[in-house]
Amino acid sequence: MPKQIINLKVNGEQHEVAVEPNWTLLATVREALSFTGSKEGCGTGDCGACSMIVDGRLITSCLMLAPEANGREITSIEGLAKDGQLNHVQQAFIDTGGVQCGFCTPGMVMAATDLLNLNKQPTFQEIRDGLAGNLCRCTGYTKIYQAVELAAQRMTSGE
Amino acid sequence: MAQETKTREEAESGSNGHRYVGQRQTRTDGAAKVTGTTVYADDMKLPRMLHAKILGSPYAHGRLKGIDTVKARQFPGVAAVITHADLPEYKKSPSNRRGIVFPYDEILFYGQPIAAVLASDPDVAEQALALIELNIEALPPVLDPVEAMKPDAPLVRSTLTDIDRSEEQGHVAVDLESGDKEGRPSNVASETPFKRGDVEAGFAEADVVIERTWRSSMTHQSYIEPHSTIADFDAAGELSVWTSTQAPFYIRDELADALGLPESRVRVTATEVGGGFGGKIYLTELMVSLLAMAVRRPVKYIMSRHEDMLAATPAPFAQVELKTGMKRDGTLTAIQTKLIYDSGAFPGAAVPAGATAIGMYYKCANIDIVGYEVLTNKVSVGALRAPAAHNATFAIECHMDIMAKELRLDPIEVRLKNVAEEGDPLPSGQAYPRIGLRECLEAISESEVWKGRAAASAHPNRGVGIAVGGWMGGLQPASAMVCLNPDGTVNVTVGSADITGVNTSFQAITAEVLDIPPDRVHVGYGDTKTAPFAGMSAGSKTMYTVGRAVKLAAEDAKEQMLSIAAQRLETTPEELEVSNGTVRVKDDPDKSLTFTRLGRWTTNFGAPFPVIIGRGSITARKVAPGFTAQAAEVEIDPDTGEVTVRKYAIAQDAGFAINPLSVEGQMQGGVSQGIGLALWEEMLYDDQGRLLNGNLLDYRLPTTRDLPNIETIIVEVPSEEGPYGARIIGEPSIVAGLAVIDNAIADATGVWLSESPFTPERVLRATGKL
Repeated sequence: MPKQIINLKVNGEQHEVAVEPNWTLLATVREALSFTGSKEGCGTGDCGACSMIVDGRLITSCLMLAPEANGREITSIEGLAKDGQLNHVQQAFIDTGGVQCGFCTPGMVMAATDLLNLNKQPTFQEIRDGLAGNLCRCTGYTKIYQAVELAAQRMTSGE
Repeated sequence: MAQETKTREEAESGSNGHRYVGQRQTRTDGAAKVTGTTVYADDMKLPRMLHAKILGSPYAHGRLKGIDTVKARQFPGVAAVITHADLPEYKKSPSNRRGIVFPYDEILFYGQPIAAVLASDPDVAEQALALIELNIEALPPVLDPVEAMKPDAPLVRSTLTDIDRSEEQGHVAVDLESGDKEGRPSNVASETPFKRGDVEAGFAEADVVIERTWRSSMTHQSYIEPHSTIADFDAAGELSVWTSTQAPFYIRDELADALGLPESRVRVTATEVGGGFGGKIYLTELMVSLLAMAVRRPVKYIMSRHEDMLAATPAPFAQVELKTGMKRDGTLTAIQTKLIYDSGAFPGAAVPAGATAIGMYYKCANIDIVGYEVLTNKVSVGALRAPAAHNATFAIECHMDIMAKELRLDPIEVRLKNVAEEGDPLPSGQAYPRIGLRECLEAISESEVWKGRAAASAHPNRGVGIAVGGWMGGLQPASAMVCLNPDGTVNVTVGSADITGVNTSFQAITAEVLDIPPDRVHVGYGDTKTAPFAGMSAGSKTMYTVGRAVKLAAEDAKEQMLSIAAQRLETTPEELEVSNGTVRVKDDPDKSLTFTRLGRWTTNFGAPFPVIIGRGSITARKVAPGFTAQAAEVEIDPDTGEVTVRKYAIAQDAGFAINPLSVEGQMQGGVSQGIGLALWEEMLYDDQGRLLNGNLLDYRLPTTRDLPNIETIIVEVPSEEGPYGARIIGEPSIVAGLAVIDNAIADATGVWLSESPFTPERVLRATGKL
């Protein structure tokens, strides 16, 4: 199949990429743009390790074809820290011990960031519902719940 | 004031006057992981690298008659198609899974790798796979281990000889000598008997005897990062492998042996491990190395999730037939059991560990245990966090509750009455060192979950259960280096893969010994050509063994620094101490030298003293078993049979928690896996031996919707040899989950489920509603 040219804004930068029509957004961002932070854990949208925010909406990038991303604005894990400063969610994951092997972490941090973008003060149940699309095999989630609670608290108090 | 603050912190953490060890330390690799900059194997590229895609067998059992690769080789963009006939020479050992890269005759399980396509574009390789034509004579698969062990059962495969047990020994230090068959061909790969006393006499003196059969499912480690390996064989004849493994030195040794290379010419780098849990020891590395040698280009192979579920090394199904007796006063009088583990097509089930687990929690004068490792035409199994222990513990810990209920005794009291302690014999006869099982039981009785038992019982569909778990741990030598830099910072080098955050703890240990802030210490991991040897990061032994070596290396470096400082300060090393980055005279603290000065004096041009390089090297011969007691409150939906975990608590003996934050993480992680095994996880095969649920939707892992906060209680009964008294930590937490949940279900419903996972259907059947 002939390649096609797509334009996408990734982590604030505009890119023009020649893609095969069957490439996923995940493969495009990882292979063509070398943002390798997003992970493929399953390739079928079940684990959430590839989570990105596309036009303000959390998606599993292994299930979005690259041509579908044409003209869109994409944030991957590499786009969260500004000038070397971690966002509240990233810092809270470190502080509470919400990071272990790290493979689910980029997707989990994206999902938690998206959750707090939509809901500044989620309840415990809302946190559990909000992260249900992201699997973590290491932590048992307790310290991830704590991370989201801590991040929400710090965002609210303006720390 | 600062001193007072420190003292209070220490009192809270129970760290006994230590400054850094015993304190909560955030992971040194945290920032890299939350920003996505940590490099995993699939994030690496080498020049001219090819991608491998693998064709797996469409049959669980068969004979390979021929492979036609002509069309695949002609597919545009394909660099090579490799079958068994195209592989370079290697030492084949058909009795072992890794010893047979591609089959040349027998096909033994569904998904078994048969051929590889290599291409620069992984999509091209994938498409060409479909063009390979296999000629396989399908044979009926042998799938049920209980049937397969009968004397007249059809054979799974040709007879095995010289089974290699080295991988299993990395996980656990129990005696892995196995009984032998009488030379008759059989599907039983090994037999593990343990006997003590007279079980018939034990049953005769019992007031209650319970006999039941327990079945626990075949499960998958389900690390989120699938197996990932890159290999390169260069013009100088040196093999380099980057792979997601817990066991770099073990892989080096195995590759060198299989390929006839000196170990000094094999460089294995353990890339960041995206979850292992015992499943990432040694699997695809020989295959990828041979592919790279065949084409003389770097080759990368990343398993898809489906391939990983089909053809990695999951954890075995087991059937445990158990008979136990107890006196009216709660004394356990006899344990008689037969454990049958389904090992799949190759040996690898850690049956001795399971046979040990069933008899290791309690004093019992009469035991008769026999464990069988049975072959079937399924993918062969490996370790999953305390391999084989959860299957056995499920049975004995449910029996303890059933007997307690029959005798109207309290579940914790009955366990405390029989609990194993220092000096008691294991099933093998070996005596326990000091252990903390009693302390864990006492601690869990104080948990909110257990204390809320009465309130839960008042609710018609709720129940609370407890159970214990444990693991002996592995033993292997280890070493480490500690070097002083010119600016007074310190580099620590180890050869162990960091799968649990141990490097952060090594940093704390080094900081503690040298009395410098942890951020002045960097812990680095080296490959097998540059790092000092360490055993595999398995068997929960990395902190226990490598941690000891790091402590010794730091102490050695300190000694060298004191010796140099003594010369400069005109005193003796005994009169000196380290304090916050300086060496000073104990009685005259104003007389001091900074580490920075010592660093320069040992590295600069014309420096007067030799380089400071601390060496730590140990062997470990004494086990430091780890135990846990856990409690859960569950609620059962009376209409659907669905079990919800409302509350969960774990008490675990860490010996000494060098980093309580990561110890809690290990406890909670293991608990979540134990709950997963109890409620959802099961690899399902059809009657032709084909996996039905090889993906993460149908193989159901615990999600955030399923798991409540997990309460942790760290118990500290120091080990004899571990650094600061630390003992094994990673594995015990998974072991109890099945029995905890089943005992809680029984508390709510009055019945125990005999087979895991405890699905809604099984709950409804057990409670007579279906």
